[in-house]
Amino acid sequence: MKPTVEQVETLLALKRHERPEDDYWQGFVREFHQRQREQAVARTGFAGVRERLGDWMRALKPMEWAYGAGIAYAAVTVAFFLMPRNAEIERTAPTPVKYEVLPSPTAVEQLDQLDLSPSTQGSAGEVVF
Amino acid sequence: MFRQSRPPDPDQDLVDRAREGDTRAFDALILKYGDKLYGLVYNMTSHKEDTHDLLQDIFAKAYQSLRSFRGNSTFYTWIYQIAVNQTLNFLKKRKRRTGLSLNDLDSGVQNDPALVDSTHEADPERQTQIKELQRKLNEAMQKLSEKHRMVVTMFDIQGMSHADIAKVLKTSEGTVRSRLHYAHLQLQSALQDSWDERF
Repeated sequence: MKPTVEQVETLLALKRHERPEDDYWQGFVREFHQRQREQAVARTGFAGVRERLGDWMRALKPMEWAYGAGIAYAAVTVAFFLMPRNAEIERTAPTPVKYEVLPSPTAVEQLDQLDLSPSTQGSAGEVVF
Repeated sequence: MFRQSRPPDPDQDLVDRAREGDTRAFDALILKYGDKLYGLVYNMTSHKEDTHDLLQDIFAKAYQSLRSFRGNSTFYTWIYQIAVNQTLNFLKKRKRRTGLSLNDLDSGVQNDPALVDSTHEADPERQTQIKELQRKLNEAMQKLSEKHRMVVTMFDIQGMSHADIAKVLKTSEGTVRSRLHYAHLQLQSALQDSWDERF
């Protein structure tokens, strides 16, 4: 046999009386403050700053995000128009590259001192015993 | 068009004091709404330890966000919404984490002999039947999807109106009624084997 909807509702309504034990909330509040203290200690470092920043950003409403984005857009636009346009960048004139290679005078002198007469020239690869 | 003025929040003074760092004011808010939120979370999770941890998280979240509470709704509506969101998130995670068996869950009112005693003090056989029925009801509740269980909890157990449920769940009253209708049908079917016409 199926219960009626009213009977199901009556049965469910019995659950309204379910509640924790009498001293439950005292212990709950004590634990709550203990956890808050521990979190406060943990929040003092960099992670805490990051978390608070995250909380702050999450708390922002869509309209506030829209205002923020609008202000940022306006700031970028103003900066773009205020930027000086006629300032030219100084360009240094290009210096020509010399391709002519001249032997140094000392090297020429050393070459002049060499005895290049046939008597001093051996045949390549020949060994004379 | 004129804006309809809302009645003042009865908790405004406590909220203001808690914002200024008066921890006793926040304790008073915990004690005032603890039972209601416990009922919501416990009937959604059917697990005492999970309920305890979730309630700690819910009140901690409310305490830390107190500065961002702008008074667009009453404090109770605001914290109730936090509780609903945190509970739904928790249930999603729990479902992903493990396939929690119904045996792992508490069976609710059958652990509350005071209630059964007060309703049928003189008839032990009747008490046993009601306990069995409640056990079946709790099992059937846990088989409902979260969104159906949520509306049953809010409407049938917490006694909220369709309009208030729609506001908290950010949906239409029609959707609330439709979910409620479907959930009642499911519960009816689940109880039909153990239902006795004497009830």
